[in-house]
Amino acid sequence: MRPLLLALLLCCSQAVAADAARQWLHGMSEALKTLDYDGTFVYQHDGRLDVMRIVHRVDDGGRRERLVSLTGSAREVLRDDRSVTCILPDNKSVMIGRSRSPQPFPVVPDDLATISRYYRLQDKGDDHMIGYRARIIAVIPKDEFRYGYRFWIEQDSRMLLRSDLTGEDGSTIEQVQFTALDVGIDIPVSDLRPSLTGDDYTWHRQTEINAAQDSAYGMPGWMVRELPAGFMLTDFGRRRLHEQGGDAEHMVFSDGMATVSVYIEQALPDTDAFTGLSTMGAMNAYGALVDGYQVTVVGEVPPATVRMIATSVQRQGAS
Amino acid sequence: MKDTLNEQISALVDDELDAAEQALLLRQLARDESLRRQFARYQLVSDALKDSLPERIDPDFHLRIQAALQDEAAPHAAAAGTHLGRLFRPLAGLAVAASVAVVAVLSLQSVRETAPQSAPVVASAPAPADYIRAEGSPPAALPATPARDLDAYLVNHNEVAVNRGMRGMLPYMRIVGQGEQPGSQEAAE
Repeated sequence: MRPLLLALLLCCSQAVAADAARQWLHGMSEALKTLDYDGTFVYQHDGRLDVMRIVHRVDDGGRRERLVSLTGSAREVLRDDRSVTCILPDNKSVMIGRSRSPQPFPVVPDDLATISRYYRLQDKGDDHMIGYRARIIAVIPKDEFRYGYRFWIEQDSRMLLRSDLTGEDGSTIEQVQFTALDVGIDIPVSDLRPSLTGDDYTWHRQTEINAAQDSAYGMPGWMVRELPAGFMLTDFGRRRLHEQGGDAEHMVFSDGMATVSVYIEQALPDTDAFTGLSTMGAMNAYGALVDGYQVTVVGEVPPATVRMIATSVQRQGAS
Repeated sequence: MKDTLNEQISALVDDELDAAEQALLLRQLARDESLRRQFARYQLVSDALKDSLPERIDPDFHLRIQAALQDEAAPHAAAAGTHLGRLFRPLAGLAVAASVAVVAVLSLQSVRETAPQSAPVVASAPAPADYIRAEGSPPAALPATPARDLDAYLVNHNEVAVNRGMRGMLPYMRIVGQGEQPGSQEAAE
């Protein structure tokens, strides 16, 4: 009788702890979307280091935010309720796309259940950093197809102070750590403007194409035969990603934490196809040629996962 | 024709075009450098008009805008001289970045490095262990950033991920990040 009771109590307390962890994550997500803040942080991956500044402001005019590199060339991304603009001085290009309105986290109530099925949520206790009290929340994957996370969350504002992304062996692949952060301050509009005009740059515009008839949800004409457990199709559309060539079909899969994109487009005859794996820190991309189509899978998941997904893409109706 | 185009560019800046007109004009902008310069100038003016009294007025930019506006008879030219915000600022925080980098290097050991553990080297072609090459591609000088072709996918995917994620726009740091090797004097080519 006694061991059963203990087991039950343990189960309950774990469930309560997981619930508390989820509340912290929810608070963090809201804080990043709704508060005004200006911070400097260090971004580390692959033994490399970048310092960046992020500015975020919400007012009657909507949400505006800006991320800019303080090391190397002045790459930056600006985002508001309508568009995303990426200014890349290295190849003198500007990319503009439509921004998506922020979803509440969890996106759908099922996300919580899904996350708990594939990740363990743990409250790791208190910590101190840059003069703030933080709570450490760990998100531990239950299989090798996803990454793990550790978040340091400021206890009053719920702002993210530090975020570690961990690999299968538990080592840190990527780290974001704020070195200075002001929350709830007045953000001058000038801080949200780009530092470059994009003069003499090449402008690329990404557009959404009105989906054709065969783009009914879940019936895109292509199928992805292998996905890690819990990854569901959450979005589908047609995108014009490049100026040359046609549109790409775009499927989005998510397990509630990680998001993976699958792009399928006709391969261009005079350009090199992207095949194989490309890694940058936590982001992995895998390319494959299928029936004369270029398949590109991108996501914040381990290399084996993007490879598995990309190599399983098939035309519907193919054997 | 030119006036109509100017009007259209001005309307684009003020977000008064419908989707089809916008798409058409943007395609033209993508192909025509002088049109893009014009767009940038109009954007400057538009921003200047919308700005409230600035904290600081940078006299250099006043001159730049005057010079730029003299190229064409922009209807807003007269008003532009009165309100000038800090439309551009030199990259702030470089001194901060230096001191921050020192702090960060001390904690660098906590992040898994695929690079060799020897003393930091002024950038040359990174060791093969740093990157996983795309299989089947010819061996080339390994770039510090993913192949340029992937930029479009990364940018597009990031927007989706950010939309569904819980870390605000931080995932864009992978696009903004350049990956300076600690201690390196110049960026990898």
